[in-house]
Amino acid sequence: MQAQSMQRTLLSLVLRLLLLCMVATGKCSGKYHELLLQLQRQADLMQNPSTLLDPYIHLQGLHSPILKGSCMERLGDFPSEDVLWRLSRQDFLWTLNTTLGLFLRMLSALQQDLPKAAQQQAEMNIRGLGNNIHCMAQLLRGSSDPEAAEPTRPGPGPTPPPPSLPMLPLDTFKRKLRICEFLQGYHRFMRRAGQVLRGWGERQGRNRRHSPLRGLQRAAQRTWPFPGLRRLAPQGQLPR
Amino acid sequence: MALFAVLQTAFLLALLPLRTYQSEVLSEPLPLTPESLSVSINSAKQCLHLQWTVHNLDYHQELKMVFEIQISRFKASDVIWTGNYSTTVTQNQVLHWSWESELPLECAIHFVRMRTMVDDARIPVPRFWSNWSSWKKADAQNSLGDHPLYVFPKDKLVEEGSDVTICYISRNHQDNISCYLEDVLTFGKQLDQSVWAFELKNISFLRKTGTNFYCQGQGVPEGVVLFVSKVLEEPKNFSCETRDLKTLTCTWDPGDDTGLIQLPSYTLFESFSRKKTLCKHRNRCDWQVTQDSQEMYNFTLVAENYFRKRSVSILFNLIHGVHPVAPYNLFPKNVSATNATMTWKVHSIGNNSALLCQLQLLGEGKVIQQHNISIRVNGEYLLSELEPDTEYMARVRCAYADHFWKWSELISQNFTTAEAAPSEAPDVWRDVMFVSGHPTVTLFWKPLSKVHTHGKILFYNVVVENLDEASSLEVLSVPAPANSTKVTLNQSSYQIHVTAHNSVGPSPASTVAISGHPGNENVEEGRINGTEDGFPMSWKPQSRNATGYVVEWCDGPQNLPCVLQWKNLGPTTTGTVISSGAFRPGVRYNFRIYEISTKRMAHLLEKKTGYLEELAPSYNPQVVPNNLTSHSFTLSWKDYPTESQTGFIQGYYVYLKSKAGEKCHRGFEKTVLPDNSVCCKYTIDNPDQKTFVMKDLQPESVYEFFVTPYTSAGEGPMDDFRKVTTPDEYSHILIHIILPMIFCVLVIMIACYLKSQWLKDKCYPDIPDPYKSSVLSLIKSKENPHITIMNVNDCVPDAIEVVNKPEGSKIQFTGTRKSPTETKGTKPAYLDLLPTEKNYSGPGPCICFENFTYNQAASDLGYCGHFPVTSQAPHCPLGPLTSPENLLKTLEQNYMNSLGEIPAGEANLNYVSQLASPVSGDKESPPTNPPEPALCSEYKMQMAIPLGLASPPPSENSSLSSTTLLDPGEHYH
Repeated sequence: MQAQSMQRTLLSLVLRLLLLCMVATGKCSGKYHELLLQLQRQADLMQNPSTLLDPYIHLQGLHSPILKGSCMERLGDFPSEDVLWRLSRQDFLWTLNTTLGLFLRMLSALQQDLPKAAQQQAEMNIRGLGNNIHCMAQLLRGSSDPEAAEPTRPGPGPTPPPPSLPMLPLDTFKRKLRICEFLQGYHRFMRRAGQVLRGWGERQGRNRRHSPLRGLQRAAQRTWPFPGLRRLAPQGQLPR
Repeated sequence: MALFAVLQTAFLLALLPLRTYQSEVLSEPLPLTPESLSVSINSAKQCLHLQWTVHNLDYHQELKMVFEIQISRFKASDVIWTGNYSTTVTQNQVLHWSWESELPLECAIHFVRMRTMVDDARIPVPRFWSNWSSWKKADAQNSLGDHPLYVFPKDKLVEEGSDVTICYISRNHQDNISCYLEDVLTFGKQLDQSVWAFELKNISFLRKTGTNFYCQGQGVPEGVVLFVSKVLEEPKNFSCETRDLKTLTCTWDPGDDTGLIQLPSYTLFESFSRKKTLCKHRNRCDWQVTQDSQEMYNFTLVAENYFRKRSVSILFNLIHGVHPVAPYNLFPKNVSATNATMTWKVHSIGNNSALLCQLQLLGEGKVIQQHNISIRVNGEYLLSELEPDTEYMARVRCAYADHFWKWSELISQNFTTAEAAPSEAPDVWRDVMFVSGHPTVTLFWKPLSKVHTHGKILFYNVVVENLDEASSLEVLSVPAPANSTKVTLNQSSYQIHVTAHNSVGPSPASTVAISGHPGNENVEEGRINGTEDGFPMSWKPQSRNATGYVVEWCDGPQNLPCVLQWKNLGPTTTGTVISSGAFRPGVRYNFRIYEISTKRMAHLLEKKTGYLEELAPSYNPQVVPNNLTSHSFTLSWKDYPTESQTGFIQGYYVYLKSKAGEKCHRGFEKTVLPDNSVCCKYTIDNPDQKTFVMKDLQPESVYEFFVTPYTSAGEGPMDDFRKVTTPDEYSHILIHIILPMIFCVLVIMIACYLKSQWLKDKCYPDIPDPYKSSVLSLIKSKENPHITIMNVNDCVPDAIEVVNKPEGSKIQFTGTRKSPTETKGTKPAYLDLLPTEKNYSGPGPCICFENFTYNQAASDLGYCGHFPVTSQAPHCPLGPLTSPENLLKTLEQNYMNSLGEIPAGEANLNYVSQLASPVSGDKESPPTNPPEPALCSEYKMQMAIPLGLASPPPSENSSLSSTTLLDPGEHYH
């Protein structure tokens, strides 16, 4: 038990160092709208199946209508649209970051199954989006805007746990289809994330006219996968 | 040992009768039935694995036995395979045997049984089969779940070109299941109520990630992936070598990739040492040479994958397979203009074995020297006979000297030799122009070839030596890369020496001699014809002491600046072919052949001109027709230059077309033009004839002509014909007759006129004109030049005689009309000419002359430019107007009246015009306008006055005015 705790501490330390390094080398934009637009564009890019799913289908020979038709997102692989809408901005960013982190690990495990170029490009996209997620989270934390702690669309339900990596079957045919479903889920998840991010922009526009002041304390208390970032000073302010 | 064998055989022979006895007693075969038969399934290999034992095997011996095995599918009675398996069996031995099924085992229940028979030579015949064992069931379906559809075999590895059977099990028999190989619908065979099988023949490789076969019923498609491997090829070009006698490297060509993620394995086996190594690469394997001085190696390379095993072998002598590593540190040392020493190093082989190295010297990419040198550690070699200022490449490679097998890789090094003085004199020629008797020499020289420059040419020295004046030298330095210079000389003889200089020194001099006087230029020009090789020409030597010949020409057309070219030829040469890439067809080139004397003086020998290839003329002359008569005209094209054409002009064709289409004239011949029209053609075979007279033509006819030159290559382009119309035959006659007649008539008319004038002067001469009096001219010159008539004031009469003759007057009137005074019957007022004080009311008397050519209406009404005399009126009839005031008043009043106050009946206007001058009248008639007083002459305006007012006397100036008739109501401005 003590060894396990030690391992967690070490892992946490490594992650913190990694992120500190990333923050030290990269500079976050302090402009909320610019950052939000960048996130939206990245999400739009990553939701496009031609970046990953289509090359995979071509490589594995799954291009027949029957097989493509069966390549549907499997429930539970990625957070649903409803869940994403009900998350506060900070929770959303946390969920997005966590999910993409898991997906990145999955990509590494699928090196033999994916076209190399598409896989590398997807990894770069995810890392780029991760940087912007980090910057946006930093911006939200430094802001006193109470909306940051509110869900984009109000609704009941707790924040779901982050999705887990799928178990891939040993049967190659089933494995092919399963990976296909997983990649399909990834693209659809990015599309949903993009819609939520666009919802942020719309809501920001509406609330400029009447922005109620609410506390950001609840969100600030939420668990962030990389808590070391909280100590960093934001470089910009949310627009009011 | 032999004793033991004999005893064993004897023991067996003793036992056999006992055994036979036992059988006969028990009436049963030997109980060698297979026992403990078990069947297991290897799904990956689609194999049934059988395992059993043979009991009752005695004697602790080995017996050769045959096992007959039967396999059934679905039902025990459906035997699908029967076969024998022979092996030697020992007591309590567990036997194994496998059977590979073409149908995936998951798709069907299999049953297995066997029986056995001793098949040992030691056992006498007859032999009997044992009883069958019981059927053993092999059912892989038990392990399947409750999924409605299964497809087998999973992830099967197959070799390209082989056949594969795929099956599916459907738990729901109602399902309509379709199966596809990739995208292609595939039809199978039903084996059982729930099992279908698909035989895929000659399967081919599609991709590394496998070929998909899938079936779809109601739900998600189920399928399998077939991993198709290409056939493993035998390694090719298997060979081994060593670079240092310590490590052997064997290489081969593995052939095409099998296309599977699992690569075939390559193993290297050496039979003498019985060592084996698994190769890390698919085309190369390293082998450590042992220290036991093994020279011979027998290598076998085994390539193996799931389906095949391929092997190749070689017998290899280590000493015969030494491939040295490439030498290093190759450098030039002590590089001069013609020598260089190359040094290099080599890696040692074994115990400093000798190496044979090959040093190559390359110039411009070609090997020009090659030397073999035997060395052990360091190499050094002196390269000689090099060219100065030349870039070379030296390269070296080495081989094992004890037994040559293969050169090492080459290493190379570039170097450049040092410069030296140019080795050859520049090729110089001259062009001499005499300006005002002084020769101006343009010297040309060709750049030295790279072989002779031996360095970069920096400048050319031109030394002009006057042969007539000792020690007279002029030196010019022309910086490179100039290739010409101009020198002006006097009328002495000169020698000019030209040398090329680089950083080391000068080249040998090239000398030309110039005479101060122009040579013989009157050499007849001959023609030459060009060929594919150029212009062949020959000449006749003039002197026996010629040191050579020079042919010069211009490379461009004549109309371009001359790029002087020349060719030097030896003294024994009397002909050459001048070729140049600049020569073009259709361009005339002129060649001059010079003979070079022993004093380097050039004498013009011959002139040649010619075309590399003659072309047809590119344009036609501008032909002008002239001397047109009714029967002929002349064509002329004198401006056409024959020298600058695309071939030697041999003559001209004159084409003539006439509307009448008559026969061709003499000398013409009928010809058909490209447009199929027929015309007449005349050939002028003299290129210098540039006029042509067309004769024997018809008057008033239209002729069309066209002139084109021709060369040996053809005639000029077909242009449009020009038209000429011959005139009428008699037109010139008319001109010759009518013109003199007109002239004669005119002469006669002039003579008649003069005659009539003469008659007039004689018979009725002109009445003298007072205006032309000589007195007037005297007055004009003395006093007032403006006065044109005699003024009464100018004459101081001594006395005046008034003759009252009612019946006549001194003033003559040519007309028959009566004067107004006659109508009144009173004293005519206008005859009061005396300047008396009583009747004088103005600055001077007025003399009124009636103008008969004007104011007719007024005359008719009895007014003669003056007022009617009334009792109240002053004596002078012009009194009211003699005073300026009166005049103006009167005018104003009447003018105003004319505007509005005068009644319509009284508004008739009497126009007074100043045009009515005396000169406007008939010359024969006396002057009608009287001399006007000075005051009257002030009134110059043309104006309208009502009838009843007297016209003012016109003046001389008034003659410039015009008459204007105004409508009633119109105003004068």
